[in-house]
Amino acid sequence: MPKNPVETPEILPEGASWEVELNRVGFVRRLLMARRWYGADWWFVAIGGVAVVAFIIVALFPGLFAPYSPFVQVGPPFLAPEAHVDMPVLIVPKKSSVKSLQDLAVPPDANRPQISVVEGYPTAGALNTESQKIDEQIKDEPRGLRLRPVIDRYPSLQETLHAVVDGQDNASVVQESQFKSVAASFPSLREAAPIQGGAFSAGGFILGTNDIGQDVLSRLLWGTRIALTIGFSSSIVSLLVGVPLGLLAGFGGGLFDRLLSLLMDSLYAFPGLILAIAITAVLGPSMLNIIVAISVLYVPTYYRIVRGQTLSVKEEVYVEAARSIGARRLEILSQYVFPNVIQSVAIIFSVNVADAILTGAGLSFLGLGLPPTMADWGIDLARGQTFIQTAWWMITFPGLAILMVVLAFTLMGEGLMEIYNPKLRER
Amino acid sequence: MPEDILYSIRNLTVEYGTRAGPVRAVDNLSLDIRRGEILGLVGESGCGKSTIGKALMRLHEVPARITAGELWFDGRNLMELPAGKMPEIRGAEIGMVFQDPMTSLDPVESILDHLTETVLTHEPKTSGAAAKKRAEELVERLGIRRERLKEYPHQMSGGMRQRVMISLALALRAKLVIADEPTTSLDVIVEAKILDLLKELQKEFNLTILLITHNIGVVAEVADRVAVMYAARLAEVGTAEEVFANPKHPYTQGLLKSVPNIELNSAELYKMGGQPPSLLHPPKGCRFHPRCPLVMDICSKEEPEFEPVIGDHLASCWLYQEHEGRGSSERHEVHNA
Repeated sequence: MPKNPVETPEILPEGASWEVELNRVGFVRRLLMARRWYGADWWFVAIGGVAVVAFIIVALFPGLFAPYSPFVQVGPPFLAPEAHVDMPVLIVPKKSSVKSLQDLAVPPDANRPQISVVEGYPTAGALNTESQKIDEQIKDEPRGLRLRPVIDRYPSLQETLHAVVDGQDNASVVQESQFKSVAASFPSLREAAPIQGGAFSAGGFILGTNDIGQDVLSRLLWGTRIALTIGFSSSIVSLLVGVPLGLLAGFGGGLFDRLLSLLMDSLYAFPGLILAIAITAVLGPSMLNIIVAISVLYVPTYYRIVRGQTLSVKEEVYVEAARSIGARRLEILSQYVFPNVIQSVAIIFSVNVADAILTGAGLSFLGLGLPPTMADWGIDLARGQTFIQTAWWMITFPGLAILMVVLAFTLMGEGLMEIYNPKLRER
Repeated sequence: MPEDILYSIRNLTVEYGTRAGPVRAVDNLSLDIRRGEILGLVGESGCGKSTIGKALMRLHEVPARITAGELWFDGRNLMELPAGKMPEIRGAEIGMVFQDPMTSLDPVESILDHLTETVLTHEPKTSGAAAKKRAEELVERLGIRRERLKEYPHQMSGGMRQRVMISLALALRAKLVIADEPTTSLDVIVEAKILDLLKELQKEFNLTILLITHNIGVVAEVADRVAVMYAARLAEVGTAEEVFANPKHPYTQGLLKSVPNIELNSAELYKMGGQPPSLLHPPKGCRFHPRCPLVMDICSKEEPEFEPVIGDHLASCWLYQEHEGRGSSERHEVHNA
């Protein structure tokens, strides 16, 4: 067909060099170059984006990051952040090869191991529980070893330790802090292992423990999963409902549009949290019900924006041009209107997730959200509020976590909004 | 319908529903578009010329409505087709080029997608590669390098976008192309190029083009025949030579006199008096009579017929029609005026 193709020499308009440059680099380099044009907004998106990815990773694998289970008591209650747990420890002579309590086990016919403790301290209880546990574990072993220690009680710390130095007892169990204070005077003794006694875990608690001895950090990390689940699922549900409704109402118009807009506007007029409270109060506390309640809350947001954009896009000349090339209504809606509308939705989604997380935490805080056994930031906040005078860390860290997540999503969303759609700024 | 007529508009009336009542943007208008011609449709803003362009494809949406008339295209009356059949004709048999190339392309679709979509909409069995090949050949013919097909509308200049719009109209070898002010938003150099291109394409593909414009210069440059519209009706239709050399209707005469001309010696350009009439309450009789310098008694009372003056040259003016209170001598005077 081309008989005499008209030559169009490539004359670049002035200042077009960066455009050419842009076409020659890959996607990642382009992203980095965008920093030059968008300045602060680029940084907002970058920082927000990195934080969001980090939160998502934590939410996917909280077990990898959390030191303890979030649901069980792992330490003494109300332990301040970074405070040391004073565990009972097993003290043995330096030359002894004993590494743990289990190594003291002997055959049934031999003398039972003798262990000294200080009278009036809980160390004897811990020792008892721990050795029973070990006996239970080793009782079926072919060697037939037994631990069953003889517990010798002494009135003072000095005497307890001297009994080991003198060889009267095989080992001693005292509080770690007690041993530390006198360790210099007993150079022949050493710490072998902590005795857990079934109650606490050994080790520190970076963010402290709560009123029932659960690790605040672990609950925080596991709570990320619930926060993001609620945030994402309710935003996705309201997007899936709101966007098609907005498209149809905006494109179709008529009575359907009028009625739906009336309904959506009345939903929108309600104060958000109050509506969510009403819905969860009716449905009862569960994860699914929270998601439903929050979704209902945010459907009008998507509906209004999509409907408004659809109304303006469908009047564009290119939509009429599409009709003039024979596109049918459904094609126009899916191929011309939808791609031009969806950009603003993608941006609102991010801000919406932040909002949904906040509402979800608010519901749990009020006791209308999840069952109180779950590791959720809202629940932790509510629990921490009771002890705000004595244990500041219980309420502070979940609060900070909510702040960070909401900030990350909002930074990313608002930054993207500035970059893609400066007109939406007025909203 | 004679074989040489591609599109015959018969007694077309298009109304816009407004709060003040229906406005007839096109009022009982009949016009033939002949095969292989470029028909220029000129008129002031708001006279209904773009409405005709859309009506030819039945592209109207509420509040506009075709209330009467027949649209005979290539032996079929489009008004009798169900609305669901119209998309098969749009694009495939009648193409359209819009006024503003800056807004008539979808900003989120590449040029290639625009073209292949047009092809695939009508010929769903075409493979993607074949559609792409056709698109490449077409845009090269229109003077756009094929490498630029993957670009988006915002990366192209106005002239290039208008070429893309034309290629969209031609993608399926439409028999009739309706060009609605195709060069209005372009500068004069690009305008000249696009007009040349349209003329070339018309010869090459044996196209029929309805060129809607308010710019009488554009029509003079490319059109074979000219239709002059005034207040929802046709004032005059004839070959371009006839109409420009020997305009019959006083409106056409005024229109031609008000075009700036380098050979013009008078200090001031001719200004037509008055305003275009409101289509909500058009004047009685001839619609041009309140502004007509040659107005007669009959003009405000009765409407003139739209009928031939000489041969193929039609006009709707009492000057050339028999009526009471006027002799043939008067006609002669006017003719020489």
